[in-house]
Amino acid sequence: MQIIELFKSAIQSLKANKKRSFLTIIGIMIGIAAVIAILGIGDGITKTMYDKFGNNAKQGQQTTEIAYNPDNVNSTVNGFTQEQLTDINTQFGGEIKNAEIEQESDNISTHADIGDTTKNVTLSLLKKPTHSVSLVAGKNFTKNDLEIGEANALMSEKVAKRQYGSAQNAIGTTVTANNVTYTVTGVYKSQEQFTDDGNQNSYGVDLLLPKSVYYQGDSAKEGNTLKLTFSQGTNASAISRKVAKYLKKNSPAATQGSYQYLDMEKALKQFSSQMSIITTFISFIAAISLFIAGIGVMNMMYISVSERTQEIGIRLAVGATPFNIMMQFLVEAVILTLTGGLLGFLCGAGLAHLLAPLLSSAIGGGGIHIHAHISLDAFLLAFGTSAAVGLVFGILPARQAANKNLIDILR
Amino acid sequence: MITLKNINKYYRQGDHRFHVLHDININIAQGELVAIIGESGSGKSTLINIIGFLDDDFEGTYFYQNHPIHDYTRKQFSSLRNQNVGFVFQNFKLLRESTVADNVALPLLYAGKRRKEIGTRVSEVLKQVGLAGYENQLPKNMSGGQQQRVSIARAISTHPKFLIADEPTGALDTETSQEIMNLFKHLNREEGTTIIMVTHDPHVAEQCDRVIKIIDGRVVSDSKDGERNANN
Repeated sequence: MQIIELFKSAIQSLKANKKRSFLTIIGIMIGIAAVIAILGIGDGITKTMYDKFGNNAKQGQQTTEIAYNPDNVNSTVNGFTQEQLTDINTQFGGEIKNAEIEQESDNISTHADIGDTTKNVTLSLLKKPTHSVSLVAGKNFTKNDLEIGEANALMSEKVAKRQYGSAQNAIGTTVTANNVTYTVTGVYKSQEQFTDDGNQNSYGVDLLLPKSVYYQGDSAKEGNTLKLTFSQGTNASAISRKVAKYLKKNSPAATQGSYQYLDMEKALKQFSSQMSIITTFISFIAAISLFIAGIGVMNMMYISVSERTQEIGIRLAVGATPFNIMMQFLVEAVILTLTGGLLGFLCGAGLAHLLAPLLSSAIGGGGIHIHAHISLDAFLLAFGTSAAVGLVFGILPARQAANKNLIDILR
Repeated sequence: MITLKNINKYYRQGDHRFHVLHDININIAQGELVAIIGESGSGKSTLINIIGFLDDDFEGTYFYQNHPIHDYTRKQFSSLRNQNVGFVFQNFKLLRESTVADNVALPLLYAGKRRKEIGTRVSEVLKQVGLAGYENQLPKNMSGGQQQRVSIARAISTHPKFLIADEPTGALDTETSQEIMNLFKHLNREEGTTIIMVTHDPHVAEQCDRVIKIIDGRVVSDSKDGERNANN
């Protein structure tokens, strides 16, 4: 008998009993949906973490950062100078694609003298005038201001009010940061620290300063953060660790501070392995419902076999082999579970995408937005599991059908 | 074509063993129209099931075109049935939820035929039994006579060597019975199909070439033997 006919007649038989088939499909669907939703959210959390804190592996190259923290917070010693850059390039040239001292321009935490008081502030540096802030007093940077390198500053309304009582009062005052004294020429409306999609908002800072003024002279070539770039496939973590170790030993600045490489990859690996243990465990519990659904399939198939005794007899009489009969019932069971499995996959994926944002808001935002991630593996899992459930729970009823005694049926 | 030798058949019921068929010896040649008659419980249905490869659980030897049927496995029986026998049952045994065409196509499907071939063959046999154009009807909406015609169409769809009919007219009125009998006679004469039927309707039996009578599991008379005896 041709395979396509087998499927046709199986679908016909399932249609003949729509309600029962439907209920059985729902059972499988719930089981698969539960597993897929949990896996999707679990994978999503892990993936979000990697995207946020990983070595940016997705851009075709990896980057890591080594930070220098001076022991004395007010120290002006820079951890990385041009000298060290050359040193690192000669030592690790073969392994590192590029090393550069990063001049941070966004969300820098530092000290600044606002008026008479020294304060911890956050500041962002501007190369070009921005329209992303709205001024409440004074005027915004112009293109000219930034090009000439005027030591002017914009202050957030919050800081201005706290320090001077009102935005207007702050205009004309001075701010000293990184040994440069700036004149406040404008006050802008304070913004949230994080943007809506969870990233740091570079305008949600206390001060906005011109970048060309902030990094002047020596400080233009020095800094406290070293950015390393690696080709795809190299072990960025291991090399970065080596570089940090080398700096600790050989850098003159090592006596006044410490070099630190924060290995996010390692932490992430640990995190993801813990995450996968948890998801596997929860999926296992969800799989129990799949097992129960499987028993439902078996139950339905047994009922179907006993109801269709006559049909089995007729088919055997006109020349079906016992194997034909077994395949027919097995195919019916597998069609049921596969349909349930695919519907369950869709439901599970939908559910995961629906639940993930709720989950990230339940965590309390914190700038982390979890997106569910449904992988091909999850699809194959749903497909494979549902087919397997059909086979495992269909085989016994199918064999019972195949082994029916023809004479007993026809009598 | 069919040679039964010393066939014995027992039914087991609990501890009891019923001896249903006693030493049956029958030869049936190609092209015969045979009626097996007898009272209910005489074992005639059992005999016809053995002849039609439906029952493989018997003692004795059965040669079909020199094949030792008594040695065959269950799977071999399936293909043997599919290729050699057509069945007509008293209660038609049609798939009530499937169309006439699907019912008639069933043996062809199991024979592994292509759908296109099947379509042409189905219309052909339906025309032969006088049901041309009934392809998409459901058996449950048809009369008994029509259903029996469908079942005959199904039986002859694979060009079987012989037909087995177990009380083919048992559920039909006299007039319809005669129509079915005419169809059988036509198939036998025009197509040369061997037909073996079980009946207890004397009117049906007398239209057959050969009548075998069974009482309590024994062949008590065979009209062919009678002729042969008469000739001798």
